[in-house]
Amino acid sequence: MPHKCTQCGREFKDGSTIILKGCPSCAGKKFLYVKESQQHDDVLKEKSPEELAEESRDEVLEVKPEPARSVQMHDRIESIRILAPGSYELNIEKLAESDERVIRLDTDGKYVLDILSMMKKQKKKK
Amino acid sequence: MNFFVRTRKKFSKLLRIFLRKKSARIGIYGPPNAGKTTLANRIVRDWTGDAVGPVSEIPHETRRARRKENIIITGLNGNSVTIDIVDTPGVTTKIDYHEFIEYGLEKEEAITRAREATEGVAEAMHWLREDIDGVIYMLDSTLDPFMQVNIMMVGIIESRSLPVIIVANKIDLPDAAPSRIRSAFPQHPVIPISGLEGDNVDQLYEKMTEYFG
Repeated sequence: MPHKCTQCGREFKDGSTIILKGCPSCAGKKFLYVKESQQHDDVLKEKSPEELAEESRDEVLEVKPEPARSVQMHDRIESIRILAPGSYELNIEKLAESDERVIRLDTDGKYVLDILSMMKKQKKKK
Repeated sequence: MNFFVRTRKKFSKLLRIFLRKKSARIGIYGPPNAGKTTLANRIVRDWTGDAVGPVSEIPHETRRARRKENIIITGLNGNSVTIDIVDTPGVTTKIDYHEFIEYGLEKEEAITRAREATEGVAEAMHWLREDIDGVIYMLDSTLDPFMQVNIMMVGIIESRSLPVIIVANKIDLPDAAPSRIRSAFPQHPVIPISGLEGDNVDQLYEKMTEYFG
């Protein structure tokens, strides 16, 4: 059974993952699960998606966008990020906090930890 | 007699220790190319006749913190303060060697400069955490003061409750707008100067004796 966009009527195959990001045609977020026999009812019988929903007593499915997770500077764990040789991004707040060095290599999320810099801090605590 | 000499020596030694403790370590911080070394050179030259380090129009000329000790600054009102001045590498969140290539540096040289500058920023932050008693935060008054780095740095300095004087540099340039800096940081004293020409530095010295004394 396919999904139908309630805004523009575009149909999507069952199990289509495209709709998770909203309708690609009209960016609509509401989809109705329709029976194959009723698939073209909205055009043939000139029914609105709401009417179809009432008829079939199916609930209109709403895709809720995931809240965008903005990674703030202070949420990051690395103090220095190496984007490429000679290109660096510095996390000033992390650098201000301690001498511990966590370095992120931007290629596939690799991290380098300077263990020596972390040892120094422990020594001081003693 | 001998006794008196000895007591006096002891006394002066004590006094010296006492005075040394009073010497405040002042860090000059700010983004790259704000004129930190130019100001450090001016302060040191004005009060000791020396110099701190070379200046250049290419950003990140200063890549290691440089220190000059026991500078006695006297304000117009006769108050004086003994300081150690620390000239620090420019603090920024992004360092890319391509920027230096635009200034005509070779690729390898530019990459080395970028690496050293990164180390320099880490070092500057280390100084700020442990060894600094007061901060002169330098800004280029021809540029927008509302940069993330500036807001963050002033925030960090405030969180360590260090006294800070904000210097709006380069007022000799035609498009300088020191009032923008004043409205950006109303909680701190802002002194507009020209480190290069020496305009208004007397007012800065005055403020320094008042703030860091």
